[in-house]
Amino acid sequence: MARHDQRVGYGLPAMLAIGLHVLVVIISMLSLPSRDSDPTDASVVQATLIRAETTTDQALRNEDDSGGAESSEDDSESEEPSESTEEPSEPEEPPEQSEEEPEEQESVDQEAAEQEREEARQAALAEAERRQQEAERLEQQREEEQRRREEEQRRQEEAERQRQEEEEQRRQEEAERQRQEEEEQRRQEEEQRRQEEAERQRQEEEEQRRQEEAERQRQEEEEQRRQEEAERQRQEEEEQRRQEEAERAAEAASGSLDRAIAGEEEAIANARQAEEAANSFQNLVKRYVEQAWNVPPDADSDTVALVRLRLLPTGELVETNVIQSSGSDSFDRSVIRAVERAAPFREMRDLPPGAQRRFREFNLRFSPGDVS
Amino acid sequence: MNDSMSIPYLIMNASGVVQVVMFILILASILSWIVIFQRSFVIRRAKRAHQAFEERFWSGIDLNELYKETPSEQETVGAEHIFRAGFREFNRLLPKTRNPQSILEGVQRSMRVAWSREEERLNLHLVFLATVASASPYIGLFGTVWGIMGSFQSLSMAQQATLATVAPWIAEALIATAMGLFAAIPAVIFYNRLSSASGKLLGKYEDFAEEFHSILHRNLQGRGTSEEA
Repeated sequence: MARHDQRVGYGLPAMLAIGLHVLVVIISMLSLPSRDSDPTDASVVQATLIRAETTTDQALRNEDDSGGAESSEDDSESEEPSESTEEPSEPEEPPEQSEEEPEEQESVDQEAAEQEREEARQAALAEAERRQQEAERLEQQREEEQRRREEEQRRQEEAERQRQEEEEQRRQEEAERQRQEEEEQRRQEEEQRRQEEAERQRQEEEEQRRQEEAERQRQEEEEQRRQEEAERQRQEEEEQRRQEEAERAAEAASGSLDRAIAGEEEAIANARQAEEAANSFQNLVKRYVEQAWNVPPDADSDTVALVRLRLLPTGELVETNVIQSSGSDSFDRSVIRAVERAAPFREMRDLPPGAQRRFREFNLRFSPGDVS
Repeated sequence: MNDSMSIPYLIMNASGVVQVVMFILILASILSWIVIFQRSFVIRRAKRAHQAFEERFWSGIDLNELYKETPSEQETVGAEHIFRAGFREFNRLLPKTRNPQSILEGVQRSMRVAWSREEERLNLHLVFLATVASASPYIGLFGTVWGIMGSFQSLSMAQQATLATVAPWIAEALIATAMGLFAAIPAVIFYNRLSSASGKLLGKYEDFAEEFHSILHRNLQGRGTSEEA
């Protein structure tokens, strides 16, 4: 039996325990950096006073210039309009193309219609001719029959085969001649028709050629116009760029002057801002004092006390003096107590130095109803 | 910010009292874990030894042989210890008195003594665990309260009370509570576990003592009747 190691020492447990703690510490160290990265973003919201008023737009731009960011901004600004002028010209093209296509289609349609019309005309003409020919043939047949009847009569009358034969021959010859004449006529007519058709075809071709030429001319004109426009745009851009460069050069040349103007305008802006801040500060002080002021019940509405405040730059109250007593001791005391209760005016620190100097010492006029 | 909010930085920059509290808590935690490991080993071994001894005891071996097998020094633990104490007392009293009642009383007494020694051995340091479990949250809370007190004192001096001025103080203060809980939770869990395990073992020892006592009693009764006869 393993009785020799019945006693359990403390060495191993101690090592185990310390190892466990070291492990826990290491794990916490390993996992914490990633966990810490989240709360770093949770910064407290800090509101800062933004200048509410600017002297002019030019002042702003000059400030930007002093910041050195203007040139790039202007470039981007000048590029943007040119792009915007180019952009509308580009989408014009697809509609033109789409207009041309219908025109071509229309011309093709017209041609087809014309051809059809032509064919119809031709067919009508041919039919009319055919009808004429048939009428002529009928007439001729009638004539022939008459002649034949006459000859028959003659033959019957003469009753001589030879003459009959001769007549027959003659008739045949005549028929031959007539046929030849008819054929000639037909040929002539066909010739005429062919000529007419050729004429018509020539005319059509000429028409087509004219249309094509017109089309081509229109296209060329459009091309020219487009090129001219592009040329104009390019020229304008160049003009702009040249002007900008000139401006920039001028600015660079008169940079010191501009900067001086900018500085002045900035100073004006600062002054106005300071004034604004001072006004707001004055209002704040007034409000605080009003809130802190317990108006004595026995005060008349026309009692007036003038109090002089002296403040430290940090807004702490140094001293208050009643310059112009209201005549009532309790009123004066309440006024001083109100000012002391309202102090310190921490907003003093946010004021620009110029305004701070103004508010180091100032007067407040108290009367029940308003503080000014 | 990242640096100033890390736990080691917070611990190093805590105020003196909070640092002392933290040190106490770390110490308590380490000690409680030492106790936890040591007790776990002890109880596991005691269980195994008890099982082995019971097997041997009930295997039909002669009690004299069993007694002689074990070394005479006071090294035995658990049920074996109780058996040896009882059997030695029995053997010592047997030649001196003929009254079986007094012999059994003596055996019982000596076995009770051995049992209480075993109880003391098994429950050693468990009280410390209980103390850590119940006290360390309060110690940690004390550190937290102290740290928050300091944070408010510093807040009164600051012109602007932002979260950034308060946060490090409160984080540092809360670390103390975290440490208190870190020490207390394992202590509570293992105190319950270990005390129940040792209680079960002590119950088994008691059962064994009763059984052994009944065996001796049977033995004496047999002898008494045979001598009388």
